[in-house]
Amino acid sequence: MRALQTAVATLALAVCGAAVAAPSLDGFWTVKFERKPSGQALIDELPKSAVLINDTGAGELAAGDFAGLKLKPAAIEQVKKYDYQQELKRENTCVPPSVVFYMQAPFPMEVYQGRDLIVFKMEYFDMYRVVFLDGRAHPPDGAPHSKSGFSTGRWDGDTLVVETSHIEPGTFMNNGFSHSAHIKLNERFRMSPDGKTLWLTQLYEDPETFDGVAARYMAWTRKPGEFVFPYECDPSYGK
Amino acid sequence: MSAHGEGFGVRAARGRRAIRIAAAALALGVAASAAAHHSFAVHFVADKVVTVKGTVTEFSFRNPHGLITVDAKDADGAQQHWRIETNSPNILRRRGWSEDSIKPGEQVTIEGYPARDGSTSMRVYRVTFADGHELIGQRPDPAATPGQD
Repeated sequence: MRALQTAVATLALAVCGAAVAAPSLDGFWTVKFERKPSGQALIDELPKSAVLINDTGAGELAAGDFAGLKLKPAAIEQVKKYDYQQELKRENTCVPPSVVFYMQAPFPMEVYQGRDLIVFKMEYFDMYRVVFLDGRAHPPDGAPHSKSGFSTGRWDGDTLVVETSHIEPGTFMNNGFSHSAHIKLNERFRMSPDGKTLWLTQLYEDPETFDGVAARYMAWTRKPGEFVFPYECDPSYGK
Repeated sequence: MSAHGEGFGVRAARGRRAIRIAAAALALGVAASAAAHHSFAVHFVADKVVTVKGTVTEFSFRNPHGLITVDAKDADGAQQHWRIETNSPNILRRRGWSEDSIKPGEQVTIEGYPARDGSTSMRVYRVTFADGHELIGQRPDPAATPGQD
């Protein structure tokens, strides 16, 4: 009995130790514009078959450039019908993008990390993300979708692994290619050893709109004492 | 299956299939209507800069983009009305811009990336005022001056 108690205590300490060992992502993070990825090691962990989309931060893809991704016929038809002038209409000006697109935008974020959840407060379109770390399951397929989706996470050593489902359709690449409601997102967040840089890779699967898997890479710099500004999108910009 | 494809309770296989097809079409249809978010590269020419010198008629500094309207004259002396967008005011605020940075009636020289459709529109790169001071909008190479965003 005593041996069992000792074993349980040891296990509890190990669990607590693991929790304590998780790095803190808390703070204000601003986009790091890089010519060469400082988080190449994280990129190297992506599946070799993943198509890396190079449109993050200040990057942009021109019309008709889908980074080498093979689009499904229905998605090709959707892109053909794309009329960028529609984006400038008042009713479309303040439609927020989904987590698939807003994480790569050139805007800062604040991160609040607890034991059971992490909150990302994004400056871009005032979006919020909640990532549950308490082991709960994702909701059933029929549950409502949202722009931020439903995210669960776990620590894999020093890496936060996040799975997101239930994402409402939205911009995938802002040249007319949108993802479907069936997209699945897998993310890996990791800090540099000095705690000054945060890296992220996103891996996407959306069999309805493209073949295989696609990925993005992002990097942020920690800036203590700063905060995100309200975005408060104003549709009067539209025509 | 997404939210669009669940919970209809249809028993007949044909009915379920029809619903699945409809749900798939709906999912893509929603994607199409929720489509792309304002792309710089699609709207503007990134590797070309044009210059406009004129009088500011309006300046708004609200997200998603600020807007400067300028009356100017083309090379033949014909009146032109320019719609010049800025990148997000949030980004520019960190570079010293504010709601009061530009006032109607001011004489300005604005350099920017022209619209692909040939209209008198552009995304601002730099605003130069009559006294010589400048405001920087979208920089050609963000990596060249790290930390400003």
